[in-house]
Amino acid sequence: MGSTGMSMRGLGGLGDMIGAGLRGLSRYTGTLFAVFVVQSLIAAACMIGIALVLAQAFSHLPLFDEAVDGQLVAVIWVVRHARGTFVAVGGIVFAAIVLWQLAAWFLAGGLYGVLAERPESRGETARCFGASGAATYLAYARLAVCSLPAWALVLTVFGACLGMVAPRLEYALAVTDLIGPLAFAFVPALALLHFFWTVSDYARVELTLRHDTHDPGVLATYLRSLVFVAKRPLTLVHGGLGWVFFLLVTIAYAYLSQGRAMYGAEGAITLFVARQGVALLRMAIHVAVMAGQIELGRTRPLPPRHAEAPADATS
Amino acid sequence: MARTAVVVAVCSFALACGRDHGTPRVRPLPVADGSPALRGGGAPRSPRSASYKIDARLDVVRHEITATQTLTWINTGESAVDTLPFHLYLNAFKNESTLFMRSGRGGMRGEEASPGGWGWIRVDSVQVAGAELASTLAFAGGDETVATLPLPTAVPPGGTIDVAFKFTAQLPEVFARTGYKGEFHMVGQWFPKIGVRTGPPGAERWECEPFHVNTEFFADFGVYDVAITVPNTYVVAATGVLAAATEAPGGTRTFTYHAEDVHDFAWMADPYMDVMSGQAKVEDGTVEVRVVYRPAQKEFARRHLEAGVGAIEKFSAWFVPYPWPIITIIDPPPDAAMGAGGMEYPTLVTTGGDTVFARPGLRLPEYVTVHEVGHNWFQGMLASNEAVEAWLDEGVNEWADAKVMADLYGARASGVDWMGWQAEVGALRRAVGTDPSSLPVPIAAAAYAFVDSSAYASATYDKTARALATLEQTVGPAKFAAAMKAYTRAWAFKHPTGRDLFDVLSRELGEDLTWFVRPAFQEVGGIELAIRNAACRLVHPPRGVFGEGASRTIVTETEAPETGSYICEVVVTNTGSVHAPVDIELEFADGSTQRVRWDDRGRGTWERFVIERSTPLVEVWLDPENKLALATPVTHRYRLDGDGSAALRAAAWVSSVTQTLMQIVGP
Repeated sequence: MGSTGMSMRGLGGLGDMIGAGLRGLSRYTGTLFAVFVVQSLIAAACMIGIALVLAQAFSHLPLFDEAVDGQLVAVIWVVRHARGTFVAVGGIVFAAIVLWQLAAWFLAGGLYGVLAERPESRGETARCFGASGAATYLAYARLAVCSLPAWALVLTVFGACLGMVAPRLEYALAVTDLIGPLAFAFVPALALLHFFWTVSDYARVELTLRHDTHDPGVLATYLRSLVFVAKRPLTLVHGGLGWVFFLLVTIAYAYLSQGRAMYGAEGAITLFVARQGVALLRMAIHVAVMAGQIELGRTRPLPPRHAEAPADATS
Repeated sequence: MARTAVVVAVCSFALACGRDHGTPRVRPLPVADGSPALRGGGAPRSPRSASYKIDARLDVVRHEITATQTLTWINTGESAVDTLPFHLYLNAFKNESTLFMRSGRGGMRGEEASPGGWGWIRVDSVQVAGAELASTLAFAGGDETVATLPLPTAVPPGGTIDVAFKFTAQLPEVFARTGYKGEFHMVGQWFPKIGVRTGPPGAERWECEPFHVNTEFFADFGVYDVAITVPNTYVVAATGVLAAATEAPGGTRTFTYHAEDVHDFAWMADPYMDVMSGQAKVEDGTVEVRVVYRPAQKEFARRHLEAGVGAIEKFSAWFVPYPWPIITIIDPPPDAAMGAGGMEYPTLVTTGGDTVFARPGLRLPEYVTVHEVGHNWFQGMLASNEAVEAWLDEGVNEWADAKVMADLYGARASGVDWMGWQAEVGALRRAVGTDPSSLPVPIAAAAYAFVDSSAYASATYDKTARALATLEQTVGPAKFAAAMKAYTRAWAFKHPTGRDLFDVLSRELGEDLTWFVRPAFQEVGGIELAIRNAACRLVHPPRGVFGEGASRTIVTETEAPETGSYICEVVVTNTGSVHAPVDIELEFADGSTQRVRWDDRGRGTWERFVIERSTPLVEVWLDPENKLALATPVTHRYRLDGDGSAALRAAAWVSSVTQTLMQIVGP
């Protein structure tokens, strides 16, 4: 793999990628926190917005308190009789996710840039983060558009597989009856999703690493990344490992928090803080994966040059 | 790599698909039940005016029944009868132009009729006293689900007539309670069935409505002797008791069933079914409860058996003892449950079907079984006209079902007791049901007169149950239970009407119920309670300018300070059509409470309550015990000062989920 002399430089495989992740985390903890603060602010704004909408509708109705305490009938009443309120809540959630997605193009670009350039000082890191995020923002946006057919394919595969096993799901009698059909419905789509997700990640890496030197075209980068990921299962294993840890952290929190109801406004704040800890941990996993991807991305063959740049520039 | 992927895909698909039942095997010849058709024998419970002898053969490949039938009909009225009308229900499924298909827009209960799986019934011969009359049989009412037979000689009052039929019945692919699915056959509404003479003596008329998607059935009681011939690999279950089972030529066997004082006969044939049974104890003996199920549904069958035994015991104790020795509960295969499930016949019912999602503790399967078993009282014994007064069996049964479920599974968790969630059946029904005030048709409307099936179902099942629960709580549960028991005992094995029900209730409860019955059952609307205003102010002597001239005084805050007590005013409204007494609980800042009662029967649509207390009012709660099931309680409990902590907690949870989604789409 790799047509350049430096393509396999120092990279033995998964262990090196994980090591790069850990190094990236320990070295750029502040950057991680900075990105996390942005996310937390959006989440907090989302929480405040939702709280205002819900309080406007329900602060005088103890039935809502019962619903939040988990009384099923109260939940049904509240949801059925305040649909507009819950549509508004859904709108806030949707807006938060869209906002984050838009911000994430900049933040991911900044993170990849820092992890690629490895600046030394805090100021240098900030400059590098901002410069890389700004430089790659539109390229990432175009990449998102280029990825749309892939997501459509994922949905199509999911729909087709689900359609094939729908009668089995509909007529299942035992949980064990569900395993096969659900696996058939979800596994191919999830595998494809993971594949295309990884392709997008490596396309971002490429756009970040080669932006200054080669100014690669987005579509060409996407297609080259598709081939790269297809030829290097390591990329999928590495990314998959990240998702496994992401899932484990989420499940562990759900398990530990089960049956620990928190009441009142203090409870709400405690919950928010505890969940921010979990979110921080999961973001650290993401950043570690990104660092590993940068490490492997350096080994890829250089793209065709579209811009004037030093011939040996690799990062 | 590619080969491995193909192998994995093929194995996955194989794992995902196919549950094989194996090859049908010849079953041991069943032993006759050996019990009389009525527990303890005894005198007929009904007039037995429409009795049938049927000899039927099922072709399991063509899903077709060929049969001969002799109807013995007694004219119990005081006017002569020169024409007999017959229901030919299966013709409802003959094509898309039938009344049933048009009124249901090709579907029922959310399921479409299978294209190509049409069902029909053809009368090949009909004879009276040896004379062939098939050519005179004519469809009536513009639909082929009713046919009339002019008689050569009128049947005088008290007279009897035998009518001999030969007919062929093609079962539809299972739909609207009857039909086949694979090798499963649920056979209902399958034979020519005579209508019912109703009305005042001497002026009787036939009730024989065409089959509409909303209408069910109405028939006279009688004795049924039915011989069913099927392949010897098939298990059969049917109305009544098995009187004999004999081997027949061609690898078939004939099951002969006998039933007394029933008004319908249905049966099931399937090569894979097993049977489990239990005993229900009733005041004068026991009833055998059988569940017929496929092996994969065994765990569900246990649940249905428990619910069936409990339902027989409760309904028997609260109303009339179950008179027959056996009840059979058919648990249809999952792919047939939508079509065949959730149906009642005398001594035989079908469950609502089984699904993995109905986990133990989610009691919908039990509820449907209790409901269908309950129909053996409300329609099985109290044989009201379902086409004209569907609420009288469906709604009354729904009301009773909630009580049975609460008694069997505990009041708090009779509907749901799963993963920490609990809910009572009545409360759940109220929460998920349509607001009764929004229904454009009153409860007491003919089933075919509803604007659509949704309104029919909401009014007939849900609103009726809620209205009865409201009345029950208003007059007192114990008194109401006694009155309902009196109604069932007075009208068992007869054809009661809504008027009969309310006459008995009024008599037993000792009050004229018109104030409730008319708006709740005969008019549109419900109970629409609301808190229009709730506020407190500190009390002080009057301030201002008083008197004129020398006596003119000005009273200021200093002269008339606040006394420290509060005047609280609460205005309650009921803009609905139904007015029932309502309790109102007032909670004050010191934690004390005070109950006031607003009995607005004939007293307007609003009431103002003024209370003076040493602490301010903090909460108003209308109908705190949820007695008024006809009302929608979302805003019944009102906190004067807002508290946003629950909103904040909910928002914290939602934002946490949102953040998880954000982390999936971004870093």
